[in-house]
Amino acid sequence: MRKTETPVVKRSLPSWIRSSSFKLQALLLLLILITVFARVLPLEMQKRIVNEAIRFGEIQMLFLYCGYYLAAVVIATGLKYLISALQNVIGERALADMRQALYHHILTLPLNFFRKTQPGLVVSSLVTELASAGNFVGMAIGVPVASILTLFAFAGYLIWLNPLLAGISLSIYPMVLILLPRLQQQANKANKRRVDKTRTLSGKIGEAISGIHEIHGNGSYRIENRRYDKMIEKLYKIRIVWNLYKFSVKSVNNFFSNLSPFLVFIVGGYLAIKGRLDLGALVAFISAQEKIYDPWKELIAFYQVYQDASVRYKRTMEYFDEVPEHTLEPDDREPYELEGSIEVKDLSFLAEGGIQLLDGINLSLKPGEQLALVGFSGSGKSTLAQCVGQLYKYTGGHILLGGEEVADLSKKDMINNIGFVSQTPFTFEGTIKDNVLYSCASKLGSDEIDESDAMPSLDDMIEALQQTGIFVDVLRFGLNTILVYDEHQGLASKIIRVRDHFKREFGEELADYVEFFAEDNYLYHSNIAANLTFGSPNVESFTLQNLAVNDYFLRFLDKADLTRTLLALGAELCRQTVDILGNLPPEKVFFEQSPIRADELDEYKMLATRLAKTKLHHLSPDDRTGLLRLALRFIPGIHKMVGMPSILEELILEGRALFKESISKDDPGAFTFYQASEYIYSQTILDNIFFGKTKTVNPQAEERIDQSIIQVLIEEDLLETIVEIGMEFQVGSKGDRLSGGQRQKLAIARVFLKAPRVLIMDEATSALDNKSQARIQSLLDTRWKGQSTLIAVVHRLDIIKSYDKIAVMKAGRIGEMGTYDDLVAKKGMLYELIYGKKASI
Amino acid sequence: MDFFSALSLQALKVFAYLFTREIFKPGDYLFHQDDNDGNAFHILSGIAEVARKDESGEFCLGKYGEGEFLGGLALLGDMRRLFSLKALTDMTCLVMTREKFTKAIEQFPDLMPRVLETMVDRIRSWEERLFLDKDGLCDTCRKKVGVSLI
Repeated sequence: MRKTETPVVKRSLPSWIRSSSFKLQALLLLLILITVFARVLPLEMQKRIVNEAIRFGEIQMLFLYCGYYLAAVVIATGLKYLISALQNVIGERALADMRQALYHHILTLPLNFFRKTQPGLVVSSLVTELASAGNFVGMAIGVPVASILTLFAFAGYLIWLNPLLAGISLSIYPMVLILLPRLQQQANKANKRRVDKTRTLSGKIGEAISGIHEIHGNGSYRIENRRYDKMIEKLYKIRIVWNLYKFSVKSVNNFFSNLSPFLVFIVGGYLAIKGRLDLGALVAFISAQEKIYDPWKELIAFYQVYQDASVRYKRTMEYFDEVPEHTLEPDDREPYELEGSIEVKDLSFLAEGGIQLLDGINLSLKPGEQLALVGFSGSGKSTLAQCVGQLYKYTGGHILLGGEEVADLSKKDMINNIGFVSQTPFTFEGTIKDNVLYSCASKLGSDEIDESDAMPSLDDMIEALQQTGIFVDVLRFGLNTILVYDEHQGLASKIIRVRDHFKREFGEELADYVEFFAEDNYLYHSNIAANLTFGSPNVESFTLQNLAVNDYFLRFLDKADLTRTLLALGAELCRQTVDILGNLPPEKVFFEQSPIRADELDEYKMLATRLAKTKLHHLSPDDRTGLLRLALRFIPGIHKMVGMPSILEELILEGRALFKESISKDDPGAFTFYQASEYIYSQTILDNIFFGKTKTVNPQAEERIDQSIIQVLIEEDLLETIVEIGMEFQVGSKGDRLSGGQRQKLAIARVFLKAPRVLIMDEATSALDNKSQARIQSLLDTRWKGQSTLIAVVHRLDIIKSYDKIAVMKAGRIGEMGTYDDLVAKKGMLYELIYGKKASI
Repeated sequence: MDFFSALSLQALKVFAYLFTREIFKPGDYLFHQDDNDGNAFHILSGIAEVARKDESGEFCLGKYGEGEFLGGLALLGDMRRLFSLKALTDMTCLVMTREKFTKAIEQFPDLMPRVLETMVDRIRSWEERLFLDKDGLCDTCRKKVGVSLI
């Protein structure tokens, strides 16, 4: 069944009309027929009202005919709405189908295709260019049928009224039919040029945005602007020409359509004066003739939509008309379960333009053997790995995977047997868990991640995380989560137990790295608001963001003599921060240590200018709130641009006692005060375990903290729970909330979890630190050796000793192959790579 | 820190702001041999030891203390450490990461040539000192010098 289906790029535009819902189209036709009738009826009524009712003074007849008239108008309007609705449904359905089919097709296209295709182009093709085609499919049956029928109905009516006049007024249409297509052809030509130009333009935009680092780095704004501006200018001219032709189609049509009443007035008027035509008939004729113009206009508009849609549709489909290199699933059998042997015979790969990337490669690996590919960059090692992984289709020779030719295998066969970790792995938006399960889920082919029994268990996932060394990071994500009161009460009470345990065992040892919450001490790593309230708010009006506009709190600040000092501190923070960060872009690195958020910078910049001119007590209430907000956020341990005034410290400590006293009396439920027996819902799990805040981001200290926390969590049997929470961490679009190393570890973890028979790693550990790299290498040496056949492209030569075979590549060929010891003893290419050229002389 | 001497006042403020203060305890590593950490350290107090480990064991290459600025080269680009830097006493340092440095220098593009100049000058004068100190250089070592030729 799959085979007979035409690929989407080969389908014609009208084929979408055929494939749309037959029932809807039939209903549409029926409605149209009724409408046509409902449109002609008022004309006849009009004539009868004048000729019969008014002329003979028949009131009853007048009411009757007017009633018919009204009913016809109401029905016509209602049906018109229904018709548009139906057309809309049909059109949007076709558009959605087109978008889906084309997207599904594009994803299967070979990697080579995407080398020359910018993402922007794909986006504009899918989103913009197809829209008119969908629009056309919706109109394709309804509009022409309705218009032509109405046209004929009116024409027939006109002929019935007066054949002579009808002949005269209809005579103009053949002229229009000769002229319009010629103009439209020109418009189509311009339209084609416009589609192509828009395509290069969106490609250019895509390129500039993805290369924005390079543009900033080189300050090459002008070069890029010039390129872009030039294209826009060209597009501008093309669009003008295109639109001019489109308008001229309309104008010519208008002109001729307006000519016809002129003819009718002349001839009809003459006949009426001569008494050879009654007045009612002339009125009816004139209004019928006016109405004939509507369906005609619709027909012309439809013609233009059709022309525009077919140009865009064809151009889009032509562009993506390439054949996927491999079938997705085998047609007539179950996917293979292959054994992990690899046989490469006389393999060659010619890239486009006749460049020989691989030439005469021969090698063979038994199941479970491990091969390292080394060599200078550009020697073809990655290409070889990618050919084995079916990412590139080799042009000569053979690759046999478990005895089967790789070129003939379907994608499904490949993903069932191979795990591929690329040099720059991609992380998709979603949680850590989604990303870890990515390979397994696509192997199983299920959309629902959780439900399937065949999916890896939590233990399996944790093991994969541990193997790749991202476990601690995930644990950290878990620890940095803020629990929600309604969902996690059980966990919260367990964490309080962990808190005691932690304090007992590690409190002293880690005292240098953690600032514990203590009622009598000022907390340099918490903000001023937390220092004052010394608790976490349970109501919205007392949260940090609202505190500066909370009347109760403001009165308290006055009472505690804090208002002026805090405003002065806020002003100083504002001045200093704006001075340092005022001209910097809103990047995370710059704002990590700033009390002003990147999105507030402009606001505070203006406030800083006002501060220079105005005394504090003359500031507007809004400005005062802004300053107070800054001051309440101030964390002396992080925001280093301003020192903490010691007088303020004492005032705040006094204020803390005062606040507790008064809020306990006035609004007892508003805060949960920091006490060793209470979970603090506004703080992270980690801060709750500490019952304090970390003072450091130094990796050594963090490692020591992690070790102690892990130990305590294991003893309290909570480690898995926290890691599970951590696995729900959202990695951001393209995984931008993870570091490069974390992304690479995640990519390895998802392939390890799949446990494929053949593992291909293309410099998979290049972004990792030494320790992680060593950990993964030792896993490959022990756990995976004999289990999975491994082909690893390796850049660093100190980790290849344990491989069964090492192939040194040079200029697309294998220069030498053997074990590490043999090759080093031979003092050939590997020796040269390791010890450098000079030393081998 | 002559590494930053080339900076304008505004740039200097930004760089000063981006440094973070860290404490290290005796035995802590500021960085490890073979790591590509990309950090630079200005020692405010305490003493650190530079050491290198190979098949024959670990040997100390020197000590650094208050006021020294180490690791500036690592800010400029990917570099795997040839040595480890280990705290011998309690230490307080100002730390700059490569990420922060790169992002900040992007904002002041005209500074890059001057930073490079400072770097080149330091490499040259470092090797020059090596030659002036004739007694400290053995004959085999003499044949291998030439860092400033790169």
